[in-house]
Order: sequence, then structure tokens, then C-alpha cells
Amino acid sequence: MQRTARPFKSRARFGPRSSAQWFALPAVLLLGLFLLYPFVDVLRFSTWDWSGLSAPRPIGLENYRQILQDPDFYKSLRTTLIFSLITLPPFILLSVLLALALDGQPYERGIKALLFLPGLVTLGGAAVAWYTLFSPEYGALAAVVPVPRWDQSVGWALVLIMLFTLWRHIGYGVLVVSARLKAIPKALTEAAAVDGANPLQTFRFITLPLLRPALTFLVVIGTVLTLQSYTAVFLLTRGGPFGGTEVLGYYLYKTGFEIGRLGYAAALTVVILILTLAFALAQARLLREER
Amino acid sequence: MRWLGHIFVFGVAALVGLPFLWMAYAAFIPPEQVFTGNIFGAFKPSLANFAVLAKEGFWDGFWGRLVFSLLASGSVTLLQLFTGFLAAYSIREGARLLPFFLVTLAIPMELLLVPLYGLLQGLHLLDTVWALILPFAASPYIVFLLFQGMRGVPEELLEAARLDGAGHRVLLGQILFPLLRAQLIAAGVLAFAAHWNLVLYPRIVAGAPGIKTVQTWITDLQRQNPADWGPLSAAALAATLPLVLLYLAYERRIVETFEEGLKG
Repeated sequence: MQRTARPFKSRARFGPRSSAQWFALPAVLLLGLFLLYPFVDVLRFSTWDWSGLSAPRPIGLENYRQILQDPDFYKSLRTTLIFSLITLPPFILLSVLLALALDGQPYERGIKALLFLPGLVTLGGAAVAWYTLFSPEYGALAAVVPVPRWDQSVGWALVLIMLFTLWRHIGYGVLVVSARLKAIPKALTEAAAVDGANPLQTFRFITLPLLRPALTFLVVIGTVLTLQSYTAVFLLTRGGPFGGTEVLGYYLYKTGFEIGRLGYAAALTVVILILTLAFALAQARLLREER
Repeated sequence: MRWLGHIFVFGVAALVGLPFLWMAYAAFIPPEQVFTGNIFGAFKPSLANFAVLAKEGFWDGFWGRLVFSLLASGSVTLLQLFTGFLAAYSIREGARLLPFFLVTLAIPMELLLVPLYGLLQGLHLLDTVWALILPFAASPYIVFLLFQGMRGVPEELLEAARLDGAGHRVLLGQILFPLLRAQLIAAGVLAFAAHWNLVLYPRIVAGAPGIKTVQTWITDLQRQNPADWGPLSAAALAATLPLVLLYLAYERRIVETFEEGLKG
């Protein structure tokens, strides 16, 4: 019943101003052309043998067959998973701890502003500062304290990328938790205190469950951020040492634009998009079941 | 317990601030001091590193690239605010387009390098300024932020204006625009930073010398002379300063708008 009644109702409400619909046209057209269309079009490119310079040659699913047998692909997949595993927990833990420690402090606003700054500043410039500061050979820090050789050890190189990623995005994580924290009524935690709960218990049984949506959001955002970390890889380690920090996104960039196999890179894009989607869905389901 | 929290917060804040302090310091280290390795010895600030940046011709050198990037990111910001403002108004007035923008919001543009390259090649826009501007002329994120702001504007206010015979132009320009100033500024700074911070994309689609962005320029320099950090740091500082100043000027609005957006 309601469904049939709806068009009339909305026409009555929006009829006279329906011309406002056209105002969305520029944005819709631009996003359709430069976001939706490439998103679909990548499927077509992925069936090509194509370098960008020569004419493309259709080769069906050959690219996908090769990906399945590509040791470099599996290696970068593994690197990406390891990187996510070492980056996500500290990202979430630090976001929650900082948001809690900042809540209601006189310096809350100033510190939040500082934490948010690295996400905005010039990425290339920030990478230069990190590089000159942390380079184990001629970095400024190396003149004062010994710096682990991240130019020779894969493990330390991943740690460096992790620290850089955390540095850039921790402010955002804190804002996410903080916004949620402010929405929790003070009466709840006060009531718990009156009932004799110590601060730790109040946190465990009142605050933490109520923070759950923010944590879910952080996991999803954090996963996306780690998948995008390949810019940091490009700027700081160039995939090295020994290709050990070649995450999926960097492998995609290298294959497409340094080696010039655009068709193969398109197929990689499709695989990465599917993996991301599957990963996000699995996480969402897992988190929902836990609740 | 409380002081532990203070120490933790200020410890993290110090670590986060460290690269900024270093960037500001390193830009003014005299070149001799870098080469002798005596970085933290007697510090005599020098502008020699900035002089090195000015050595090449203006437009091919650092300062020209900085101006070019400011113009490119500035135009993109204005375009995104314009298309976003109109689209947000359209949704506010009843266009059922919110799902469309939410879907496009979920598409990671970072992963679309290959098809975008193909599209721009097909449109003959590769290695032109348009490759840096057109794909970013609309952003679902900005539409969303501005729509969130418009939702807070009371319907009675718009209805009253409409009864007085106000058309779209008056509603948009004289009522919504001033009311959404804070959101527009915050969204503008975020849009500017997002475009300014593109690293790989401009390398791929705009590598020609005349349209290189400052990021590409710095990354090239870093690759050629990784050990020559005087000029590198000076370039990093000069390229970072516009954003830092922009942010400091509007920091309160940006953080507030952001938190507001997270609640919805």
C-alpha cells in the first residue's frame, strides 16, 4: 500500500522544485565518466596484451591465467597481508588509547590538531623528512643513536612503512573514536562508578561495548589505508630491500607503469578489487557475528 | 594513573611532531655542515639551500612547480566545491541520488590507475593539464560532507524564502552559501590536500616538464640526489608550508566538520 502511495506523496512534496534535480548533473556526469566507467572498463583492459604505446591485442583470460602462476604476485600478496597484520592492531590500539587519554583534557584540541596534521601535509615532503631523519647510513638520527638497517632488512623496512602509515593516519583514527566517545552519555559511566565499578571495569563493560561501531569502522578504514600504503612504499623503500616491501598496490604500479604491461596490470587491478571486496565482506560479517 | 595518560599523550605528540621539527631545522643547515656530518653541532642558519632551488629556470625549477601545483590544486578545489555544492543542494531538494554518491564513495580511485590511463589516452588528454584536473572535478566525499551540512539547515528557513519568491540562485547564493561557510572551508581544505598529495597519479598522466607537480619534482630530486638533503629539505619545507598555514588558519573548523561528518 505504502509503496503505491509514495510517488504521489513525493511529487506533491518535491514537484515544484524538481528542477533542482538538474543541479546534480555535473557531479553525476563527471563521476560517471572518471570513476564508474573506469571501474567497469578495467575488465575490458584486463583481457588485452597492451603496453599503452602499441595497439592492444585481445588475449582473453590469458592475463588471469598468468597471475595464478605468478610467484611475484603471491609474494606481494603475502607482503600485503603481513603489513596489514602488523599495522592494523597498533593503529586501532593507539587510536582508542589516545582518544581515551585526550578526552576532556585542556590540551585535547591542540593535540588533536597536531595529530591530524601529518595526514594533510605534502606527502613527498614528509617522505623527504622521514628519509633524511631515519636513513641508517647518513640520516640525522643515525648521528645520535644507532638506526636499524631498514635498507638491508625486510622486517625493519616494513616497520618503517608501518610507522610512516601510522604517523599519517593516527589523527583520523583518534577523531573516529573520539566522536563516538563524546556520544556516550556521561550518566552511564557515572552510574557505573556509583555502583562501585573501578575505572577499568567501567571501560571494559560500559565504554568498550559502546565503542564497538567506531572500532568496526576503524578496521574497515584501516584495511583500506594499508592497501593504499603503496605510495609510502614508493617514496621510502621503492619495494626494496630485495623486493621485500613490494605490496600489491606497488606491484600493480610497477607492472603497469615501470615495466609497461598495462593489460596485465589491469587484470591485477581486478584481482585486487575482488580480494579487497571479499576481505571487507568477511570482516563485516565477522564483526557482526561477534556482536 | 592520570599522569600516565599525560606522559603517553605528550610522548606520542612529540614523536608525531619530530619530523616537522626536523624538516624546519634541516632546511636551514648550511651545506658544509651536512657534508662534514656535524648536523647538531654549532648551528648557523643559512638560506643557501633555498638559493640552490632557484638555480634552474623559474618554470622548470622548484618555485615554478610550486606555483603550478597551487594553481592546479586550487582549481580542482573550486571545481569540487562547485559541483559538490550543487549536487548536495539537489539531494537536499529531493533528488534521489544519495545512493549513487555513496556507491562512488566506495570505489577506491587509487586502484584505478590503469583504466584511468586508458580513458585519458582515449580522450587524448594524457600529458595535458586536463589530466590533472578533469578526473578530480567532482568528489563524492565533498558531496557527502556538504549534504551533511545542508541537512542541518532548517526547512522552514528555505520554505520562507521560497514563499517570498526566491529561486534556486537566491537559495544557493544568499542563504545556503553563507550558512555553509564552515563546511565549505573544511571540505575545501580537505579537497586541496587530497589533490596536492597525489604522488603516483601525476607521475603517470602528467610527466611532461611543463605540467609536473611539485610532488613529482621533489620525488625526482630525491631519486637523483638522495644524499643532498639541504636542498631536498628546503624544497620539502617550502612545499609543505602552504598546507600547514592553510590548516592552522582553519584547523578548528576542519576538525569539527570532520567529527560532525563521522557522527552521521
